[in-house]
Amino acid sequence: MSIFTPTNQIRLTNVAVVRTRRAGKRFEIACYRNKVMGWRSGAEKDIDEVLQTNTVFVNVSKGQVAKKEDLVKAFGTDDQTEICKIILTKGELQVSDKERHTQLEQMFRDIATIVAEKCVNPETKRPYTVILIERAMKDIHYSVKPNKSTKQQALEVIRQLKETMQIERAHMRLRFILPAKEGKKLKEKLKPLIKVIESEDFDEQLEIVCLIDPGCFREIDELIRCETKGKGSLEVLSLKDVEEGDEKFE
Amino acid sequence: MVVTSLEKMIGLQREPTSIRNICILAHVDHGKTTLADCLISSNGIISNRLAGKLRYLDSREDEQIRGITMKSSAISLHFEKGNQEYLINLIDSPGHVDFSSEVSTAVRLCDGCIIVLDAVEGVCPQTQAVLRQAWLENIRPVLVINKIDRLIVELKLTPQEAYSHLKNILEQVNAITGALFTSKVLEERAEKETETQGISDSVHGDQVYDWSAGLEDTDDSHLYFSPDQGNVVFASAIDGWGFGIEHFAKLYSQKIGIKHAVLLKTLWGDYYLNTKAKKIMKGDQSKGKKPLFVQLVLDNIWSLYEAVLKRDKEKIDKIVTSLGLKVGARESRHADPKVHLNAICSQWLPISQAVLSMVCSKLPSPLDITAERVEKLMCVGARTFDSLPPETQELKKMFMKCSSEDTAPVIVFVSKMFAVDFKTLPCNKPRPLTQEVIAQRRELARRRHAEKLIASQGQELPEQALSGNESELTEPRGQELTSQTESMTLKTVEQEADKESFIAFARVFSGVVRRGQKIFVLGPKYDPAESLNKLPSGCSAADDLPSIPHMACCTLENLYLLMGRGLEDLEEVPSGNVLGIGGLQEFVLKSATLSTSPACPPFTPLNFEATPIVRVAVEPKHPSEMPQLVRGMKLLNQADPCVQVLIQETGEHVLVTAGEVHLQRCLDDLKERFAKIQISVSEPIIPFRETITRPPKVDMVNEEIGKQQKVAVIHQAKEDQNKIPEGVQVDSDGLITMSTPNKYATLSVRAMPLPEEVTQLLEENSDLIRTMEQFNSSLNEDKKMHEINQKILDRIQEFKQKLEKNLQGRKWRNAVDQIWSFGPRKCGPNILLSKFEGYRKTVWQCLDKTTKEVSKYRDFDNSIVSGFQLATLSGPMCEEPLMGVCFIVEKWDMSKAEEQMSANRQDSEELDATEQTKNEDKVTSLPSSYPTESSSENKKLQDGSQGSPNSSEKSSKRKGETLLADCYGPFSGQLIATMKEACRYALQVKPQRLMAAMYTCEIMATAEVLGRVYAVLSKREGRVLQEEMKEGTDMFIIKAVLPVAESFGFADEIRKRTSGLASPQLVFSHWEIISGDPFWVPTTEEEYLHFGEKADSENQARKYMNAVRKRKGLYVEEKIVEHAEKQRTLSRNK
Repeated sequence: MSIFTPTNQIRLTNVAVVRTRRAGKRFEIACYRNKVMGWRSGAEKDIDEVLQTNTVFVNVSKGQVAKKEDLVKAFGTDDQTEICKIILTKGELQVSDKERHTQLEQMFRDIATIVAEKCVNPETKRPYTVILIERAMKDIHYSVKPNKSTKQQALEVIRQLKETMQIERAHMRLRFILPAKEGKKLKEKLKPLIKVIESEDFDEQLEIVCLIDPGCFREIDELIRCETKGKGSLEVLSLKDVEEGDEKFE
Repeated sequence: MVVTSLEKMIGLQREPTSIRNICILAHVDHGKTTLADCLISSNGIISNRLAGKLRYLDSREDEQIRGITMKSSAISLHFEKGNQEYLINLIDSPGHVDFSSEVSTAVRLCDGCIIVLDAVEGVCPQTQAVLRQAWLENIRPVLVINKIDRLIVELKLTPQEAYSHLKNILEQVNAITGALFTSKVLEERAEKETETQGISDSVHGDQVYDWSAGLEDTDDSHLYFSPDQGNVVFASAIDGWGFGIEHFAKLYSQKIGIKHAVLLKTLWGDYYLNTKAKKIMKGDQSKGKKPLFVQLVLDNIWSLYEAVLKRDKEKIDKIVTSLGLKVGARESRHADPKVHLNAICSQWLPISQAVLSMVCSKLPSPLDITAERVEKLMCVGARTFDSLPPETQELKKMFMKCSSEDTAPVIVFVSKMFAVDFKTLPCNKPRPLTQEVIAQRRELARRRHAEKLIASQGQELPEQALSGNESELTEPRGQELTSQTESMTLKTVEQEADKESFIAFARVFSGVVRRGQKIFVLGPKYDPAESLNKLPSGCSAADDLPSIPHMACCTLENLYLLMGRGLEDLEEVPSGNVLGIGGLQEFVLKSATLSTSPACPPFTPLNFEATPIVRVAVEPKHPSEMPQLVRGMKLLNQADPCVQVLIQETGEHVLVTAGEVHLQRCLDDLKERFAKIQISVSEPIIPFRETITRPPKVDMVNEEIGKQQKVAVIHQAKEDQNKIPEGVQVDSDGLITMSTPNKYATLSVRAMPLPEEVTQLLEENSDLIRTMEQFNSSLNEDKKMHEINQKILDRIQEFKQKLEKNLQGRKWRNAVDQIWSFGPRKCGPNILLSKFEGYRKTVWQCLDKTTKEVSKYRDFDNSIVSGFQLATLSGPMCEEPLMGVCFIVEKWDMSKAEEQMSANRQDSEELDATEQTKNEDKVTSLPSSYPTESSSENKKLQDGSQGSPNSSEKSSKRKGETLLADCYGPFSGQLIATMKEACRYALQVKPQRLMAAMYTCEIMATAEVLGRVYAVLSKREGRVLQEEMKEGTDMFIIKAVLPVAESFGFADEIRKRTSGLASPQLVFSHWEIISGDPFWVPTTEEEYLHFGEKADSENQARKYMNAVRKRKGLYVEEKIVEHAEKQRTLSRNK
């Protein structure tokens, strides 16, 4: 008969519980905070740094250990450490504070990097640095949404940044070659989509070199294909119209 | 003393013999500005009492706060010696190393310089530097040994000790001068030797080698500083006294009755006075006698100091009366004995008298300019004077004559531009109002008052106004208008006040400069010979001339006399004077030569002791203020002779300065004067490159990787491969085989490191490759066939041959002919080879001009190339561009796609026609003109959020690719993605390395600090390439390479550690592979033994990689919490 003796009670602190359901039963393991994500990404290789104890519980907070036959039924083994590893990789957990923090920070950086890559200063045609974009994002109090992709958020950020600073998507340089027949008609339709027409050549065919906003590309592409029934062609001269090389002030 | 009138100055400017252009040079804190203060006070511009405390020429706020001078500034002084009057253009220069560029600008304009030395500190690094600078510019120095009072008060030396100390210092200075002299003689000799070598080689037979270095033949006695030569003054600028030997020689020749000339010679040196015989004897030390200098000079000063500091009233009175001075009651009662001392000394031995009379007698006037210096000024770089056109050589005479006749051509050199507040310009100074202006203003005020009255009336009686009293209606409107215009004018005034006005700091070398004169501005690269051919002789700047490179025309708007903080308007400035010129802002960037004669050559560029090396990136605090920052940086660039400003490709605005103090000043200037915004400063972004190498033969502990250990290595490699997802086959020799998501096409790609020479060759020829690419594309696009230059074709051929020469061996057989593309951006240092059967397209199209065959691969050629371009643009390690990698496409299987295509074609007959035409189009179209859909995919890859699969499908439907575009998106897009991924995996299975940008670094250091230089270098991962001693000096020249990543703060550290005796110069040189593997972990037994399981020692490559990844927001394999147990304990509620 076991007697409840407080001295051999082990108290766990800083617990992060990872749980899973198998064979109709719930299994939990007790891990340290801020460590599970590291294990999953492979940064942490020492299992003892992740697990508080390698016993499998039914309920960690109550201290109920899982029964052996349940484990065998659910996992096909009774090796606690192995089962712990399975639960670690597959189980669900609540993300701890620092983990969430680094995740958000990383996303924030990522968004800023994407924005910096896509955009230019329209005056100088040069990109902004990531640090500057980050600061601008903080200035407009942009908060990162963890469940939206960074690219989507980056587009949103660009829209918002336009209000406070001079920023624009880097233009795409395109060349259309349109058959003369449809040329004129089509040009009118294309006009609102084009930012700058750099050159225009109208002899047998209409040839236009222009800058467009990358967002309009699909529309233009479709328009040309529909209207000319595949006879007109469109060519990307450069994806990003930016100044190259270093410039020295003289 | 009376302030000298402007008219007098102008009068003196006309006489070159009475002009002295001098500058004050010294190590930092040796008392240049204090000395300048004393000299200025002699002209009554500042009071005697304040001299030395005010630092009049330090007009900037930060100069006053920091207590160091940061810019050179000029002031014109008047001095009377005997009955001769002199005009002295004095330029004060900064002593701090960071501002040595300002010293260069000052030295160029002068004929002589005063070297100031601290009597306690003696010769310091910057003293050496300025001596060298003065030497290089061929200007004559005189010496002022300052702060003698410190020897008395601080060090408490006896006169005897002080004398030997001074003698020591003098010897040190002369040693440096001597070293400069010998190095010059040796250089000249070396030059001569190389010239004669050709001759002497041919002459055989025994020759007696000429051992004399030429030193014996050259006289150097005039170079050295010696009190008996009269070019040394002993002074204490803070106490306001100074003297040359001459002063005392005169005094004692009367008193003791020894000839003036004898005293002059013997007052300095080991002579003593035999009081009995009243004779001066030699050899004081051997006889234990006091030297003459101590007995007659120093003893007196010491006793005066003693008396005043001990407040010995009687003794003071005695001295004062014996010297015949008058000391005001206020000074003698002052609590601080220093004030009293100052009052006595500045009357007894006035420093300005001593220094200025030495300047006037020992330093040359503009007339005495040496032919040697003129030639040096006129010959840029390696050109010899004789090679200049005859018209130009004629000008030398003008220089020498320094004539102010109207016929003489004007030659002016602008050494720097400096910004002044618009308000301080003489034309904007508040003037007493004239009667008319006052009357006008009164009238205005009266009118305004009347209007106000009417307006108030209008308000009181609104009904009246409404009832149609038109005059009253118009009145307020009129008032509004006037108020508007008023505010407008106010605004413009404010804007003008905001503007910085630039003034050129210049000197007239010949002719007379007049206000409103038209003049040529000659840039540093201007060649007089060229323009002499083009221009008709005798033309002037006022004529309408054809444009000539590096030459512009401008009008001199304003001429100023520089008076320290103030400026005085001048109408004309004759030859030999220092002046300020306004209105050159648009024409002159930093320095320039102005002349009315097109034959004038540009002067040799200023030689800066310090080149800018401290790089920082600046950004506005508020991103919307970018334009202000850019404008501010442009102004800063003009205002500072040494700073460099550039925008990098990454969009960073980079400021390159000479040192930390200089940087601080530039930033202050930007913030407060030029940009007027808040800015933040950060380390600039450091670029890296990614590459692969051959598998290493030895492990980290230098054990050869044998068979047994190899197992371990492979084991580790396997672990790496675990990162590669399923569906990708990896051969043991690194061949990656991958299929597109729809399984229609399969690619096999291998990565190989390129030999170093090839990478270098590709780097060098990137321009050529770009033109080749352009030509290829135009070749494919039949309609725009422009003929390629034969010269370029030859160059391409040569380039190809060189590549073939460098790519030899079994592995590279036929490699050159198989080159498909270069990357990234189609001209980078990476190669794509096609080694599969059935399709051949190379970059050498432009050479053979064959028509291309139609092939099933043609259509998707561009997808593969763009996949390669994307892969080379950002590598797997930290998304930096690749370098020196060769990708080989060994297999490209598209059979399934073909089947689908044909099936598709049969299915849809009506679409077939368009397809056919399309295909024909494609045959003639070039790869880059084809990307109708491929580039759209390309774009989609970069911009996934844009292209939802739905719309892309829709767009490709019309292309007749319906079936090829399945749920995975269009086929060409899949190909690009697959190619890119395949390249990345191919890289990952090879040993990857980072490449770091390297600086070559040249360090000049003296022998005693050599050890510390090495310490700093090795701490920052630098590598010493060579070290040699500079002939004739005790300087060592060390050549080393240093990673750019480690260079931040390097210059500053090395200066600090060597107390400024070593100064590095950094120039970008090349990319170098960092030998460490960024993914390295211990694998072999020896490595475990040496490094432990976790390899705790730092891995340099990994550190760099993680830093870049972190900056870019990429995933970094780092534990959030290192030790789980050590976290703060949360919730212990039981």
